[in-house]
Amino acid sequence: MRLRTAAALAALALTLTACGGGDEQGDLGSGTPDTKPTFEAGTTMARIQSAGVLKVGTKFDQPLYGEKQLSGDVEGFDVNVAKILADELGVQPEFTEAVSKNREPFIQNGTVDIVVATYTINDKRKQVIDFAGPYYVTGQSIMVKKDDSAITDKAGLAGKRVCSVEGSTPAERIKTEVPTAKLTTFDTYGKCAEALKNGQTDAVTTDEAILLGLVSKSPEDFQVVGEPFSEEPYGIGLKKGDQPFRDFLNDTLEKAYEDGRWEKALKDTVGTVQDQLPSPPPVDRYTAAG
Amino acid sequence: MDQPAGSPLVVLEGVNKSFGPLHVLKDIDLQVGRGEVLVVIGPSGSGKSTMCRCINRLETVDSGRVLVDGQELPREGKALARLRADIGMVFQSFNLFAHMSVLDNVTLGPIKVRGVAKAEARERGRALLTRVGIGDKADAMPAQLSGGQQQRAAIARALAMQPKLMLFDEPTSALDPEYISEVLDVMRGLAEEGMTMVVVTHEMGFARSAGNRVAFMDGGRIVEVAPPEQFFNAPESPRARDFLGKILTH
Amino acid sequence: MGLSTITDNLDVYVEGFVGTVTLTALGAAGALALGTALAAMRVSPVATLRAGGLLYVETLRNCPLPVLVVLMAFGLPKLGETFLWSFFAYGAVAIALYHAAFVCEAVRSGIGSVSTGQGEAARSLGLPFGQVLRLVVLPQAFRTVIPPLGNVLIALTKNTSVVALIDVTDITNNTELIINDTVDPIFAVLGSACAYLLLTLPMGLLVGRLEKRAAFAR
Repeated sequence: MRLRTAAALAALALTLTACGGGDEQGDLGSGTPDTKPTFEAGTTMARIQSAGVLKVGTKFDQPLYGEKQLSGDVEGFDVNVAKILADELGVQPEFTEAVSKNREPFIQNGTVDIVVATYTINDKRKQVIDFAGPYYVTGQSIMVKKDDSAITDKAGLAGKRVCSVEGSTPAERIKTEVPTAKLTTFDTYGKCAEALKNGQTDAVTTDEAILLGLVSKSPEDFQVVGEPFSEEPYGIGLKKGDQPFRDFLNDTLEKAYEDGRWEKALKDTVGTVQDQLPSPPPVDRYTAAG
Repeated sequence: MDQPAGSPLVVLEGVNKSFGPLHVLKDIDLQVGRGEVLVVIGPSGSGKSTMCRCINRLETVDSGRVLVDGQELPREGKALARLRADIGMVFQSFNLFAHMSVLDNVTLGPIKVRGVAKAEARERGRALLTRVGIGDKADAMPAQLSGGQQQRAAIARALAMQPKLMLFDEPTSALDPEYISEVLDVMRGLAEEGMTMVVVTHEMGFARSAGNRVAFMDGGRIVEVAPPEQFFNAPESPRARDFLGKILTH
Repeated sequence: MGLSTITDNLDVYVEGFVGTVTLTALGAAGALALGTALAAMRVSPVATLRAGGLLYVETLRNCPLPVLVVLMAFGLPKLGETFLWSFFAYGAVAIALYHAAFVCEAVRSGIGSVSTGQGEAARSLGLPFGQVLRLVVLPQAFRTVIPPLGNVLIALTKNTSVVALIDVTDITNNTELIINDTVDPIFAVLGSACAYLLLTLPMGLLVGRLEKRAAFAR
């Protein structure tokens, strides 16, 4: 564990940009389809198909969702969802590291086709990008040291030092709902976990499944306490106004809900630390503003 | 070899020194008596400058001993600094402190090393500068002085420490010819007052008139030591004869 | 969006600016003091001191600053309560330690530019090593050292931005807050660029002026 933390720290400092491997084999799809699906010329799907890769922005430091392994492969639930989508297009996914604060520019600039990166759907983000999904709903929770019994719920965070990731929804929520909490925000949860271990913060707060991922790496140090106190729908970020592409992504998600691919993707990842898995959330085909 | 009377002020015993593969000092034995003026001559590269710099340990020796006033030179540190304070050194390139006035050059040592009060040091400094003939240059910066004036200021700086020994490392070699005599005159005056001096020089006239003894070096060795009269009129060694022959024909 | 991203958040920029100025001042003071001491070590007559100085410079100079900052902020607390400081303190100390290596090399090159005869003359007067350096060599080295030291100072100012990695309030960290709030990275970062220039441009001018003055003083 300690080694992994050290490696993660070094990696975070050294890799400002990282490149995803282009040769990952999707192990969730039905293999190479006999006939590639065809799309209308001029659509994003047709462009991606001719490019041969689906460019995906995902977290590289998010255990269970998107985490780069020492082998170079990225693994996690988000990664699996992206593989399902790429499979449906008949192309390979290519992963690029997306951190919370660069997700919108990545989409706007076309650095990636989609962002699948524990990306909470909210109205502010909807102003600059669009979301397909949600494909997963989680809730904000609290992680403390294993031997800490002082903090048991959100109210217990008052006046305490709390760590989260900058620009993230949980960080914003703590600011408004527990204004007396002394919030520290880093660029990765790994630093928050290390700070908790060192006694530099009293609690870490973010989506429960992410906290479970951290606990799974350090069960002797951490524990998750209390009930989730929010509803975080994770969506797939795409360029604003690309309605055909959004429909395609939503259709694919619904298909994956039906045929069990979604469930398998979740079970292989989040399911390794959480027994009670949620059922798939209905996709929200909202009408884009503007 | 003649031995000077009384206990010698400077003693070199079996001194050897190499710069990498170059063996520049070979088994040097030498003594300098109190009040004696020893002039060291020899062709370029003979090791005479290095030997001179070994006496205040600006160069370390590889083997052998260097004693000043009966005390062996210690390693770099406080004790060596104390000993150096008693040994005046005059360099070929003057080495006046470029960022200080001439007077500050002369008073730095007395104030910082000897702990002399500033006013007293300045008064004595001015007197010394007057004595070497540049009393009017006290407040000038070194770069504003001629070479001869700079070297005289450097001598004043060394004298301000009231040393018991003065080392001169080719003090006139970097000077334009017209400035050489004013420096030699100051040195001659010092010699007459009984200052113990080791002078590395090419000035044969000075060696002849002001030296008590002449040491001739060649190839890292002291080849011959003799009173000037004897050395210049009847050198014993063929190498000294050869050297003098070359100098006199030019 | 647009210019209002900057004008609406002036107070956030000002708070960050104060943080950057404080970090720069503390970092520069520490780097200057430690760097000069290291330079003295590197030219000292004691071999162990020289080796120690060299080891320090080569280690720190070749270690990326972000690595140093993160290593200190999360590694030092593991050594015990004594090393459990504020993140601001880790940032300031890391910046000082890192740039001391560069100050050392600038000062050392300045010392190298002073002719050896100056040091020899000072030693011949009986001045101990410290005074030789302080009274004779360093004052003369100062002139040649001003331009490289100025470069180190400007680099240090910009490098203080690494503290954003450990959530210390500075221009960069507050700019990230603004980006998250406005979702307008271009203008938010333009604002931070202005804030840094406000700091580094006068520095460059000051260094140039000092350089001229030192040249005349000789």
